[in-house]
Amino acid sequence: MSVLERQRARLNWQQENLIQHQPFTYFNENEHFDGAFLMGNVDQGFGELLMGRAMKPDPGFEDGWNGLNYENVSEFEMSCALPRTASGPPAVVADDGKGKEAALSSATGKESFKKRKADTNNIPKVAAEEKSQDKKMKRGAEEDTRITEQNSNSKSTITTANDNNKETPDENSKPSEAPKPDYIHVRARRGQATDSHSLAERVRREKISERMKYLQDLVPGCNKITGKAGMLDEIINYVQSLQRQVQFLSMKLAAMNPRLDFETDNYLAKEMFQVCASSIPAIGSSAESVNPTHLQFNGFGKGVSSCGLEMGANPPDVALRRTISAPVSIPDTLFVSSCLNQIQPLTWDAELQNLYGMEYQQGRSTSFVSQPFSGFIDASHVKQEM
Amino acid sequence: MKERMQNSSLKQEFLKNWIKGLQLHTNFNKNTTILERRKAIKLSADIAIASTRNSTTRWSRALISDASRDGSNKTLIEKISGREAPRKDSFGLIRCSKKIMKRSRVTRQIRARKAVLPSVVGASLIEKKLVKSRTRALKRLVPGGEDMDEISLIKETIDYIVSLRVQVDVMGRMASVADRLIPFKSL
Repeated sequence: MSVLERQRARLNWQQENLIQHQPFTYFNENEHFDGAFLMGNVDQGFGELLMGRAMKPDPGFEDGWNGLNYENVSEFEMSCALPRTASGPPAVVADDGKGKEAALSSATGKESFKKRKADTNNIPKVAAEEKSQDKKMKRGAEEDTRITEQNSNSKSTITTANDNNKETPDENSKPSEAPKPDYIHVRARRGQATDSHSLAERVRREKISERMKYLQDLVPGCNKITGKAGMLDEIINYVQSLQRQVQFLSMKLAAMNPRLDFETDNYLAKEMFQVCASSIPAIGSSAESVNPTHLQFNGFGKGVSSCGLEMGANPPDVALRRTISAPVSIPDTLFVSSCLNQIQPLTWDAELQNLYGMEYQQGRSTSFVSQPFSGFIDASHVKQEM
Repeated sequence: MKERMQNSSLKQEFLKNWIKGLQLHTNFNKNTTILERRKAIKLSADIAIASTRNSTTRWSRALISDASRDGSNKTLIEKISGREAPRKDSFGLIRCSKKIMKRSRVTRQIRARKAVLPSVVGASLIEKKLVKSRTRALKRLVPGGEDMDEISLIKETIDYIVSLRVQVDVMGRMASVADRLIPFKSL
């Protein structure tokens, strides 16, 4: 147990150290290493092994790993820094062994949709997913620039660090440089051209892929698609469908109402409260359609009371409806609309101001909503007594 | 949770703007066909959602400027956005110049393509073509997208999608309430 404790302590230490540098999300293989470590190597004085690996690139490690090429120390550090639960059983490690060399040569740009952190990185996956990810990034051009601009999009500083994920293992790379204002520091990777064009190109590609990840979260059903072209297709379809929805809804609204002013007068306040209340989870949305109706009644003296009296619904029924959030019965709304039609728009403006003021005070809206309700009950009670 | 808070304030602002615009319409339209009404509703909604951005995003600016091209919408825009409708000229000139640049680029590409004809079209080439054509399609969808480079296009798309969702949400609620309150023709 002491070994495990030591391991945990070291993991935490490394995590704290590296988290300032915003470590990448890392190789799956490394994660699997974690799992394998936990399961397979406890007896071997695992703590020392871990430490040894953390300290220097340790070729001696390879003995236990059947020639797996895992990268250098810093990568491992960074992978440990992410508190990933050991996901892979040792069997997966074996798979990684096969797939890793192949995966290394291909670039991937996946999985970060799971980890919505400031660091975006592309993790070469196991060989099964390799093909789909080929589309996203060019072969052999793994992206490893860290971008902190997610946190402050407008800033131009980008701290980057390198990820020597090429076929040549055991390279030491330093952690990222400190961010300097107005400079984009990108370190060239081994085997990559170092001229400014390709570096800038890489930064640009990284930006694009990072933003595509946001889009992946936005567009439903985009999680499974990993290619740029496929995702663009989904995005296009989604935007088109949203636009068509807007068209359809505006047609629906136009069809419903013979007159636009009718619509605005009646639905204005109701909608306000609907929208207000949507942010308050306690109140059901359809219940709101009941309450604003009553609210209007309270707002306009005579016309209101007459309308309220004409309501066919019993107060207990309405109360019931409120709790079970069932829609208001049709006869109610008919009377509502006919009554409110007589009310001049001018009075509505004054009410509008009040309502606009109300809508921003979410705390008040609950009590506000309940008050008119009770007022309505009183009015209808009065009528029924008569 | 935080998103929901942000979203609800967005929805409120959109609703407010939209209703302001609708009220304007009711003042001067009494007998209109359904298509005209639909157009008016949609226009108010579009300008309303664009003005929630306060000209910080390109798509919102492009949307408002497109709407202001038609002179009859001027009062609507001013009422909703609370500020002067943008002059057409500035956006138009920029767009013209960009179109000229694009045309010259396209002719250059055509010439280059004719010079080199690959005998075997690889997968990556197909991929690139697909991406290009889809990017073009996306540019056509997003208002003002034609002039954007790829990075800002994606950023604008994100913002545009969020705003569209707000629009659809609020309009849907309005429609559902209207459903319940629909007056029978006999009345």
